[in-house]
Amino acid sequence: MNRAQVIEELRRIVGERGVVDQPDALMTYDADGCVMDIHAPHVVVLPTTTAQVAGVVKVAIRAGMPIVPRGAGTGLSGGATPMQGGIVISTSRMDKILEVDTRNNRVRVQPGVINFELSQYLKPYGYQFAPDPSSQRACTVGGNIANNSGGPHCLKYGVTASHVLGVQVVLPNGEVIWTGDGVSHMSGYDLTGVLTGSEGTIGLVTEAWLRLTRLPEQTRVVLALFPDIAGASATVSSVIASGLLPAALEMMDKLAIKAVNDMYKLGLPESAGAALLIEVDGVEDGLDEVLAEITEVCRSYGAIEVRPARTPAEQNQVWAARKNAFGAMGRLAPTYYLVDTVVPRTRLPHTLEEVGRISREYKLPIANVFHAGDGNLHPLILFNRRDASQNQRALEAGTAVMQVSIDQGGVISGEHGIGVEKQDFMTLLFSTEDLAAMAGLHQSFDPYDLFNPGKVFPKGRGCGELAALRAKGVEWSELKERGKLWL
Amino acid sequence: MMIEQNELLQQLSTQLGPEQILSTPEACANFRIGEQVPQLVVSPASQEELSYVMALAYAAQAKVVAWGAGTKQSWGNPPQQVDLVVRTDGLKRVLVYEPDDLTISVEAGMTLGELDDLLAKHGQMLPLDGPLPRRATIGGLLATFMDGPRRLGYGTARDLLIGISVVEATGRISKAGGMVVKNVSGFDMMKLYLGSLGTLAVIASANFKLIPRPRAAATVWCGFERSEQANAFVDAIHASQLLPVAVEYLSGAEQARGLKAVAVCAEGLPAAVERHVRDLPNLARASGVHSLEVLRDAEHTAFWAGVNDLPQTAQVADDEVVLRLICLPSEMGAALIACEELRDQLAALTIDARALNGVAYLRLRGEGEQLKRAYAQLTAALGQRAPSARLNALAGQARGQLPVWGRAPEGIDVMQRIKDEFDPQAILNPGRLADTLMR
Repeated sequence: MNRAQVIEELRRIVGERGVVDQPDALMTYDADGCVMDIHAPHVVVLPTTTAQVAGVVKVAIRAGMPIVPRGAGTGLSGGATPMQGGIVISTSRMDKILEVDTRNNRVRVQPGVINFELSQYLKPYGYQFAPDPSSQRACTVGGNIANNSGGPHCLKYGVTASHVLGVQVVLPNGEVIWTGDGVSHMSGYDLTGVLTGSEGTIGLVTEAWLRLTRLPEQTRVVLALFPDIAGASATVSSVIASGLLPAALEMMDKLAIKAVNDMYKLGLPESAGAALLIEVDGVEDGLDEVLAEITEVCRSYGAIEVRPARTPAEQNQVWAARKNAFGAMGRLAPTYYLVDTVVPRTRLPHTLEEVGRISREYKLPIANVFHAGDGNLHPLILFNRRDASQNQRALEAGTAVMQVSIDQGGVISGEHGIGVEKQDFMTLLFSTEDLAAMAGLHQSFDPYDLFNPGKVFPKGRGCGELAALRAKGVEWSELKERGKLWL
Repeated sequence: MMIEQNELLQQLSTQLGPEQILSTPEACANFRIGEQVPQLVVSPASQEELSYVMALAYAAQAKVVAWGAGTKQSWGNPPQQVDLVVRTDGLKRVLVYEPDDLTISVEAGMTLGELDDLLAKHGQMLPLDGPLPRRATIGGLLATFMDGPRRLGYGTARDLLIGISVVEATGRISKAGGMVVKNVSGFDMMKLYLGSLGTLAVIASANFKLIPRPRAAATVWCGFERSEQANAFVDAIHASQLLPVAVEYLSGAEQARGLKAVAVCAEGLPAAVERHVRDLPNLARASGVHSLEVLRDAEHTAFWAGVNDLPQTAQVADDEVVLRLICLPSEMGAALIACEELRDQLAALTIDARALNGVAYLRLRGEGEQLKRAYAQLTAALGQRAPSARLNALAGQARGQLPVWGRAPEGIDVMQRIKDEFDPQAILNPGRLADTLMR
């Protein structure tokens, strides 16, 4: 099939308006929020139904063209960038909330529904969709599923994987299946579980049953300011260990405070070296005592100011500063490189010191705005993209952060995914055997590497090759070499 | 087996001590699964030894069953052939535990009770309940994806398992996840092994996120004369903004005291627990409660330990079957009424339902024909009144005639490809998932 034939077939499936093939229009699909690697697709389709998606996949199979799923394109690891061209399937017209079923704590949606709009829609029912990534005003639930997204409140409510009950998915062979509907303990393997977070490499979600979470009866938020990061970090550990189970525990450092202060006029003292945002929720009983207890912990670790936010208006203002902190970085530098890593919680203070060292070593300012309760760091390396030297240093600084995180017993991504950005760092974390097992799972779904090829796995280590390693039994000699145990 | 038992025994003996290997028919008979008695039973003492044993078994094409305490070995179909049982009783170590991180990594053979004892010393817990915690192992809990009453408040192993290490059919050791509470580095292999009943790999160790033990806890026990009243109470709890960690419907069990009981467990801050103790009785009275009691401290603990063991499958009477009923939570009330209708025609019926999660464990006792008739009546009634319901037969001699898995899920083709990819020679628990998978 040549390009014209493919496009004609696609038009027949999704209609004239559902196909984008003008070169300048295709340019807008050449990257997601990660702009380090860009590549335009051959064609973009905008289906509205599952049947259309399955039809497009069948065309792709015949044409031998890769499929790249795309939600809102807010991803930060290049997961939606069509590195080898091919057909981008955008879910932007699959944006319907189909069924709210509060008795079963579930909602059925199309993948293009915006995360924030879903939670707004659910509010009158007394429910929410708990995952709340900072990009929630733009990102889609399909993207949340593909990336197993987090957000501040996953400290208490868990990541997206805990909120997906079942998905309707188009598999790389064009087959359409439902992996579940909210009935627990279905027999067979947990396909919902393995599809969530698979970054569009083994299936394209066309509908989903998502878990609804009851809105808490009451919420309390505290904003505490500390002279330095150390006091704030110690407070985090103490609050976590105390059994108060906060809903969110977020931290901003001095540079980040300056940026949001300038932008949102919070009037935070410039002497503050760290700000901690602590939210607790639940039944109203006891929440004020918790608030008092947290305030006490903050003060005991040297907080210079503690501001409780009781009313929704006060709470929204505090939260707006946190959720829009990345946007406020524009006040400090033209570009930032946001690195997403996780370390065990007790390693946070040391890791942050290391991030400071990296900032000095690579001569680039680094702001920190992150999910402290989870140990999920988000150093924002500030630089000017037009300056080649700064560009290079930013990349190297990012790598250094990843290495430090691994050295501290952590991992290379907490919620943004591997995509293209971190694929070559997978070997720092995983052995060949570990990657081969993941490749085996991948091959079971997508033996021809049709869906989002060239992602997640390290470059130059094809899934087929890795999976083939598994099929080969462990040789005696290899076993003997590996462990001294048997010698 | 492609090679003789003796040859495999000899190879194993070069690395494992005699106390780690059972090879006499009498000793192996204790590890019978259905009609199958293994020829060899081995207890590797480290992940490396486990890898070695698996590599040998792979070379010999011996059929392998992983065995923790054996309390749930009846689940699924009995394997078509068992040559080698690989025990995890030598894998009990704590690999990493930094209490302030609120995470832990333990080997698969540690029992739930041993783990809880350790965590209790640090004021922490892994809120995964499983029957017979003094015997049942972490590996078995994960392989069977067993749940417990407090899943309502804390979720299941799906939500708490953050890393895993397995030994694959070939003997390869692979791991996934990590020691952090939030992680999207690579595929979520934990989900693949959870509930796979030892058909894809042997779980060697597992990492969990922990939570501090609650500051306060209490039980509000409510007895009703009719199931409809109990169901109305459950519905009222669901409609409220209360946050109990367990809502268990009980009937026919000692804990139900001759009534249809709904036991509600609240844990957390003292004031929040007291709010539940205050509000729940009002909801129960509005649903026509017959008797009501608040349990605290030792009484509370003992009560839930008893409830926790109700679905156990280690000791099943000759005339008994243990079933799991799964359905949408909205259909649980109707399903429970359908179950209660069987009571008069059975010698005994025990129901333990996680009422708001759509999961119930049933113990039916009766003569072969009685059980068969009751099962047929139940499936017909569920078809009418709770169409999402499925029945899994978990244990009991009489279940030979009953479908083990109920209706098959979608996606069987891809599940079969996963099985073939991870276990190309079909040596891991062959046939355990039959009716769902081919091998």
